[in-house]
Amino acid sequence: MKISLVINGKDHEIDIDPGQYLLEVLRDLGYKSVRRSCNSASCGSCTVLLNGAPVLSCSTFAVSVDGQSIETVEGLSEGDRLHPIQEAILEEGGAQCGYCIPGIVLTGEALIRENPEPSDEDIRLALNGNLCRCTGYEPQNRAIKKAAELLRSDRDD
Amino acid sequence: MLSNVSEYFRPRTVEEAFTIMESDRDHSIFLSGGTIVALMESSRIERIIDLKALRLDTVSLKGDELVIGATTTIESFRKDNLVRKEFGDFFYESLSCVGSWQIRNMATIGGSIAPKLGWSDVSACLLAVGANLMVYGADGYRRMVLSDYFTLPAGEKPLITHIMISRDGWLSAFKKFSKTTFDIATVNVALSIKSESGRIKSARVVCGSRPQYPVRFEVVESALEDLKINEVMPSIVRSLVFDNFAGGSNMLASFEYRKHLASVMAQRAAERIMEMM
Repeated sequence: MKISLVINGKDHEIDIDPGQYLLEVLRDLGYKSVRRSCNSASCGSCTVLLNGAPVLSCSTFAVSVDGQSIETVEGLSEGDRLHPIQEAILEEGGAQCGYCIPGIVLTGEALIRENPEPSDEDIRLALNGNLCRCTGYEPQNRAIKKAAELLRSDRDD
Repeated sequence: MLSNVSEYFRPRTVEEAFTIMESDRDHSIFLSGGTIVALMESSRIERIIDLKALRLDTVSLKGDELVIGATTTIESFRKDNLVRKEFGDFFYESLSCVGSWQIRNMATIGGSIAPKLGWSDVSACLLAVGANLMVYGADGYRRMVLSDYFTLPAGEKPLITHIMISRDGWLSAFKKFSKTTFDIATVNVALSIKSESGRIKSARVVCGSRPQYPVRFEVVESALEDLKINEVMPSIVRSLVFDNFAGGSNMLASFEYRKHLASVMAQRAAERIMEMM
């Protein structure tokens, strides 16, 4: 069956099977930042933004989001210029193996859009569903806070 | 991928959704938030009936009741202004510990009740506020008490369309014990108290993940009636829950461990309610 998706602002018409998950469809389209890990809604590596809200693409049926807007990490950077959260994660040492990072960046981005001044507690709660086996979360918490500050100062300028 | 799925339906009315389900119940499944369906990996599922087009995703106030559409997501429900106005921080705080932000953006209130999951935090909280359901089945629409839904005969599977709740002077608190903040409950307890002249007029004591579906401990509720609300009240709640715990063992916890945890969670919930008074 045919569905349409708006992925990072770009329209796609896609042929899918009705039992196919969004994760599979996105990766087939070349959005390789969307990672398959646990495949059981437990790790957050497959996080994408659906109409701005973080969801797990490994357990979202593609057909059920027909016509809707999806954001992946590929849509955040502008050419060679990284998004402030990506930049801050690099600066704070938040990426080691890097597998979880696209999910964490998107969850952080959704949090900052909803709450431009997140507390440490807000960040910890938001990242509850993004597992990282390398860093212990502290660098990523710092990075999201730093990016939020930067985005606030950009907005105020 | 659910490889045997060959048909996808997006009905526009509740009646249509139910009719499609009835035409081949053995191979069909309702899709609400999708978190349960996607993880089933069942070869039995050949037909998905998506409930999104039914537009049951709103919260409204009708009389003194909040009416919640069954496909309202957990996250939008707990953050809803009407819900917060009527129930304060109860649902906002309690449901913040359901899964992750991502899961709460997907999972729905109706979808959390329908599979009759033992560990459902949503079901435990709704039982504690005396929720009623509007369901659609072979005989059309009917209203039923939430606890009655859990004991429906196996063959009777109506579609939940709305959940109705009313604060009506109750104060509620919820406590959950799980291995991690992300995990399902090893035990959860929701407690509601209505007070009068410094005493408990009525109580609802709910325990879930026993591991069976959540139930009210009515013996405990009766014993709490007319109890003076003071600093020893929470420890009395704990003792009563410990002595009257009804549950079992599974891979998460033994009966004895659960009984202990439930009593401690009940005490903490009672302490939280006292803070609100």
